[in-house]
Amino acid sequence: MRLLPEPAGRIEGGRVEFEGQDLIELDESEMRELRGKEIAMIFQDPMTSLNPVLTIEEQMVETIKAHKKITGSDARARAIELLSMVGIPQPEQRLRNFPHQFSGGMRQRVMIAMALALEPKLLIADEPTTALDVTIQAQVLELLSRLAADHGTAVILITHDLGVVAGMTRRTNVMYAGFVVESATTAELFAQPSHPYTVGLLHSMPRLDAQPGEPLIPIEGTPPDLRFAPVGCPFAPRCAWRVESCWRGMPPLEPLQPTTEVHMTGSGATHRCACWNRPTAEEASAGRPLRAGFTAAPEPIGAGR
Amino acid sequence: MLRFIVRRVLGAIPILFGLSVILFMFLRLLPGDPAIAILGQHATPQLIAQIHETLGLDKPLYVQYLNYLGQLLQGNFGASIIDSRAVADTFAIRFPITVELTIGALIFAVGLGIPLGRLAARHPNGWIDGLVTVVSLFGISIPIFVLGYTLAFIFAVELHLLPYPGPIDPRLSVDPVTHFPIIDAVLSGNPGAVVDAFAHLILPAIALGSIPLAIVTRITRASVIDVSNEDYVRTARAKGLTRKRVDDRHIMRNAWLPVTTVIGLQVGSLLGGAVLTETVFGWPGVGSWVVTSIQNHDYIVVQSLILIFATIFLTVNLIVDIGYAFLNPRIRYS
Amino acid sequence: MAVQAPAVVVRAAPRASRGLWRDALRRLLRNGPAMLGLLFIAIFVAAAILAPLISPYDPTVGVIGEAKHGPSLQHLMGTDSVGRDEYSRVLFGARISLTVGSVAVLTGLVFGCLVGALAGGAGGIVDTILMRVVDVLLAVPGILLAIGIVAWLGQGQLQIVLAVGISYAPIFARLLRGSLLALRESDYVMAARSMGASPARVLLRHMLPNALTPLIVQATLAAATAIIDVAGLGFLGLGPGDPRVAEWGEMLTGSAGFLQNAPYLIFFPGAAIVISAIGFNLLGDGLREALDPRLKR
Repeated sequence: MRLLPEPAGRIEGGRVEFEGQDLIELDESEMRELRGKEIAMIFQDPMTSLNPVLTIEEQMVETIKAHKKITGSDARARAIELLSMVGIPQPEQRLRNFPHQFSGGMRQRVMIAMALALEPKLLIADEPTTALDVTIQAQVLELLSRLAADHGTAVILITHDLGVVAGMTRRTNVMYAGFVVESATTAELFAQPSHPYTVGLLHSMPRLDAQPGEPLIPIEGTPPDLRFAPVGCPFAPRCAWRVESCWRGMPPLEPLQPTTEVHMTGSGATHRCACWNRPTAEEASAGRPLRAGFTAAPEPIGAGR
Repeated sequence: MLRFIVRRVLGAIPILFGLSVILFMFLRLLPGDPAIAILGQHATPQLIAQIHETLGLDKPLYVQYLNYLGQLLQGNFGASIIDSRAVADTFAIRFPITVELTIGALIFAVGLGIPLGRLAARHPNGWIDGLVTVVSLFGISIPIFVLGYTLAFIFAVELHLLPYPGPIDPRLSVDPVTHFPIIDAVLSGNPGAVVDAFAHLILPAIALGSIPLAIVTRITRASVIDVSNEDYVRTARAKGLTRKRVDDRHIMRNAWLPVTTVIGLQVGSLLGGAVLTETVFGWPGVGSWVVTSIQNHDYIVVQSLILIFATIFLTVNLIVDIGYAFLNPRIRYS
Repeated sequence: MAVQAPAVVVRAAPRASRGLWRDALRRLLRNGPAMLGLLFIAIFVAAAILAPLISPYDPTVGVIGEAKHGPSLQHLMGTDSVGRDEYSRVLFGARISLTVGSVAVLTGLVFGCLVGALAGGAGGIVDTILMRVVDVLLAVPGILLAIGIVAWLGQGQLQIVLAVGISYAPIFARLLRGSLLALRESDYVMAARSMGASPARVLLRHMLPNALTPLIVQATLAAATAIIDVAGLGFLGLGPGDPRVAEWGEMLTGSAGFLQNAPYLIFFPGAAIVISAIGFNLLGDGLREALDPRLKR
């Protein structure tokens, strides 16, 4: 979305393609046209994402008017329609309220209404339920998936909650330290996790089908400091499967079956993984290396990071 | 909201009450006979007796205080020893001059400080920001009288661009009706007098406004930078609003809040600074009256003026607090 | 089930912290503007100490017939309206401004801390009464309080110290009380108390060091305004009132008469006040950044 201010945020390279158009190459005013209209975004914390000194009406109407030639009363009518769509009772009255007069779940509903105001083609939801109560989480997610389906809006859901991933998504990219380390349809990812990090994630959360007494296996160590670019695989310091080459170079994201044609998207997306030493299916289900005599390769001396 | 206002007003009353006690003691605790301290070299037996009579010095202290308070509540601040005129009368003539000066300084400080602060906040640590930081450092480090005389020297003596001293050229002989120099000039119907009155205001307003300017600039800068990092500003940009709209509506509406409070507090430094500014620029307002009254040991005037200044300061801050509550819906609706 | 723990690679933290004060000192020493401020202050301190040695003339003795001579090799900053050497007077003036200014701030600090600690520590009715008194003093705008106190106490250096000190005391009192109250509710003070630390230990060991840093910053910044206020009193004719001492503000009294033919008599003492105030302001801002790295200006 190119929202981070420079110089804190900087685009190093690569492409961000949206409908065949590279977003990186757009100038600021073209980018602004896209924001809100074609690509909308919902943020993590609804408590701080709405402007405290403007009414919900002002914030919704200005969004609509920013992209559409429309009278104030039409924009207002649209705002009321949107609010009732996301399940806010008495939308006419609530429109005149300020954000602090709403609960967290209600605010996130307002955010969703505002994001969908112009029926965008893509909705980016950045941990939309992290700040909410567990019961509210389910309602908001259900709302989000229903409305996205109704409007034909594609949703990119950013989350660390594997339950949400399993319940809401069709295709998953597992990311670590800014790199996609595994990519597959959600069903395939859960059936055959192939990257040590994915395996670690699945083993670090409680499951209904677990054997009684089976321990959770946490991922050792701490996430890397993103200010320092890693040499080699960023997960290597925490990986039980690491081999010597993990310290030297970042493995490419490659299909599990090297012969298959690569599909990037859709229900037949190719299962791909970036790892020099993939866990086997048995190791994945055990959560640790099972090969006889295998020890994780130590950090090479002098590999100063 | 009404309860908020009532609570604030009631909060100011004990402060004024306390101040009146302190100022009452101020006269009584002067060494020796207060009448002689007040009169100084003007003391004659009749005058001493007269002061004793008006101050009720032979009565018990609490009776004296109650009398004093009763007089204050009726708007009677006593009379000057020098010219025997009631403080309230002279005040009515001099105060408009101080008000005009203070408002001029406030307009200078706020009108320039907010745009400067926003400019500096646009690129934090850029060269404009650096320049603004240096200017505001000078603003808070230069005494009013040094800046005042320097401005007078450059613009009046050397360049002959602006007039000095006084609030208006006496040769124009503008009739004092309201005692506000500019309003009187307008009423006189002489366009030249209006221009002259404005020209006389510029230098003292800059001298008096320099410290508030520096402070308003700093606060605006800090506040805008703070608000710019808020999540809702990111939301506003994600909605595809124009930069101007994000700045004016989403950032400034919030950034205003701390700035308003600071502007209210600066009124105090303006009232205090008026004492120096009026002395430097020869304006016959309340500020220069404080100075001459102290030089003349005219304690009743000094005592009353301190109380009046404090009342004005408290009132302005009360208004600012209420204005703040109106700007901030989190207070307005609670 | 035993889990084979992979060897965890521990990397050294970017730099080990060596305690609050040493860290702050290191940040301060690397802060260019703060060091410039310190240099300005050092120059004036040196001038104040060395004044009797380096002054070319007696600052109190004028030479008739040499009044209002412009700057020259004999008189670097010219002579004033009664023929005294302006340069010598600026040097000697540093003594009054720096000592009266800093002693006034210290006086205010002592009074303010006593009141603030008492109010913040005792709470209840003591707190209410003391804070009402503070409110009353804060209601009198700016320098007017100091003017009123000098008018009451009469002229003299001690009176100025008291006047400026008392007008600053409420600011320090409110600051200290505020941080004490905030600290009392803070988690780590609660934790210390729950571990059975005595009230005195909690106050001295856990609360005061944290309440101290804003006071240090505020006091340094107040030194700048104190120098300006002391000069202001002098300018208004409420200075030390002693013809034997030179004071920057007093040197500017009657400047209106210098505008036409001796503007340097405004410039030199004015510059002395401005540069020393800038010095304390720069140092104060630097201290704030050094002591609280989360704050930026």
